[in-house]
Amino acid sequence: MSDARIIDQGWRPYDGVRRGQWGAVRSLAWHSTLRALGLRRTFWAKALPIASVAIAYLPAAVFVGIAALVPEEVRGEVDQLNPDYASYYGFITAAIVLFVAAVGPEVLCPDRRNGVLGLYLASPLTRDTYLAAKVLAVLPVLGLVTLGPPLLLLVGYTLTDAGPDGIGGFLLVLLRVVASGVTVSAVYTALSLAAASFTDRRAVASGGIILFLFATHTAIVALVEAADVDQRLYLLNLFVLPFELTTRIYGESHDEAVPLTTASLAAAALAWVLLCGWVVRVRYQRLRVTR
Amino acid sequence: MSVVSATGVVKRWGATTALAGATFEVGRGVTGLLGENGAGKTTMLGLVLGLHRPDEGTLRVLDLDPAEAGPEVRQRIGYAPEHEALPPDTKAHDLVRHLAELHGIPPRDAVGRASDALWHVGLGEERFRPVGTMSTGQRQRVKLAAAIAHDPRLLLLDEPTNGLDPVQRDSMLQLVRRIGSEFGIDVVLSSHLLEEVERVADSVVILSGGTVVAAGPLDELRQGDAGLVVDLDGDVEAVAARVRAAGLEVAVDGPRLTVVGDDALAADAVRDAVAAESAGIRRLARRTATLEDVFLAAGG
Repeated sequence: MSDARIIDQGWRPYDGVRRGQWGAVRSLAWHSTLRALGLRRTFWAKALPIASVAIAYLPAAVFVGIAALVPEEVRGEVDQLNPDYASYYGFITAAIVLFVAAVGPEVLCPDRRNGVLGLYLASPLTRDTYLAAKVLAVLPVLGLVTLGPPLLLLVGYTLTDAGPDGIGGFLLVLLRVVASGVTVSAVYTALSLAAASFTDRRAVASGGIILFLFATHTAIVALVEAADVDQRLYLLNLFVLPFELTTRIYGESHDEAVPLTTASLAAAALAWVLLCGWVVRVRYQRLRVTR
Repeated sequence: MSVVSATGVVKRWGATTALAGATFEVGRGVTGLLGENGAGKTTMLGLVLGLHRPDEGTLRVLDLDPAEAGPEVRQRIGYAPEHEALPPDTKAHDLVRHLAELHGIPPRDAVGRASDALWHVGLGEERFRPVGTMSTGQRQRVKLAAAIAHDPRLLLLDEPTNGLDPVQRDSMLQLVRRIGSEFGIDVVLSSHLLEEVERVADSVVILSGGTVVAAGPLDELRQGDAGLVVDLDGDVEAVAARVRAAGLEVAVDGPRLTVVGDDALAADAVRDAVAAESAGIRRLARRTATLEDVFLAAGG
């Protein structure tokens, strides 16, 4: 048995590859994704993401279960009762809004509040690539509740013979599921990041997002329905706009509720994404990190 | 070889001129960036990192223009800011690993390098503790570990001893000295504390009011005002008057006479004056200028 001990292991220089700016973007996006989901953090940090995701998937699991368990003879009636892909969002709107209100602020606010942003911008990241990494984190995380549940519904219905007919039908619905999920995620990613750019307090940003969505929805519905104001005001209603757009993506029309063209809805959604993106970028370009 | 080279760098924040034509070179080893609060030190660090663009002048960092090649420059720089910059709910190892990855180290290597860096700053046993549960001294060390884990060419430390007690400060300065001498990482230590810069730096850049008032190797700057220190028995004022009459600058502090000027001239003048006044010499030594002397002489 030797008595030798390592007293000082010495400094090890690094002469391997360095992954550059895009490596930094990938790393930050992954780190932010874990943070948004509460992974590698306390139980309480995981509670809200787990609850939101559970609420979003539970109805899909129930509907698929019903489709799988009902006897063949009443299958037709049950299929009529089970929701289609477009109307599924109606069951999980609350979960989506809750998740949107939590994720953007969780991903952006602490970096400014803790001062870590200064360390990030002292790395190969620039302000723009920093924000790109945050978008790359928030978009798929929101996709967990906007894209995942309809996808589960599609796969579940297909496996229980309640899905679309043939490969072509399956692919068409899959395309619509993905397009809808990405649309809702994109609009709400932009909104949640824009709101989070105004404050370094997560609770304030989260409360602001929920308040904005419900207050504008209530006001716009009241104005259009009671005061007979121009129905194009619905284009400002982010509580309705992305979901209405998904119904159009599925080829359905809710003209009675929102009598606007699909093109105007798509243009409005795009405008919201661009406006919110511009707001976040301007906020971060003006942010003082060191002076 | 210059690690940082600044020529006539001007940076304005609105109506405030933070840097008014700073010209200096930072070479190998540890360089102290000295100046009172508001002298432009943090602005200079921001420019070196490429976070701001100089309004005038040229700045080269590791042979690159940081305003044009910011990501490339920052990949080779480690930075520990003055302000609190650590997420309290993140474990020290996770944070250091993450920041190493951001500086280009592949994930698998980053794990080992984070452990090494935390070990070197004395947090080997504490590396899996959340940063928020650590003391101020430990958090400063985490910042330092995060700044060196990716093996930078240049390390920028902004007031790294802020909030530390004397023991922690001593330990931190030893660490900075080791990084500059043993790790092969050049260090710029920004501080307003002369004593700590004097302890660890090979060179200094002294900023005052946005301009560089002195820069160069510490030994050379200290030799700028040679002379003698003499402790006397006898009429000190009379001796001082005779030395002054020989054309030398003299300061009297109790029995101590400080003579500024050429060593040989000062020695001759002191010898003659002491003999003429029949005074006794209790101690005679070469005058060593402190960094404080340099700082004050430079108008800092």
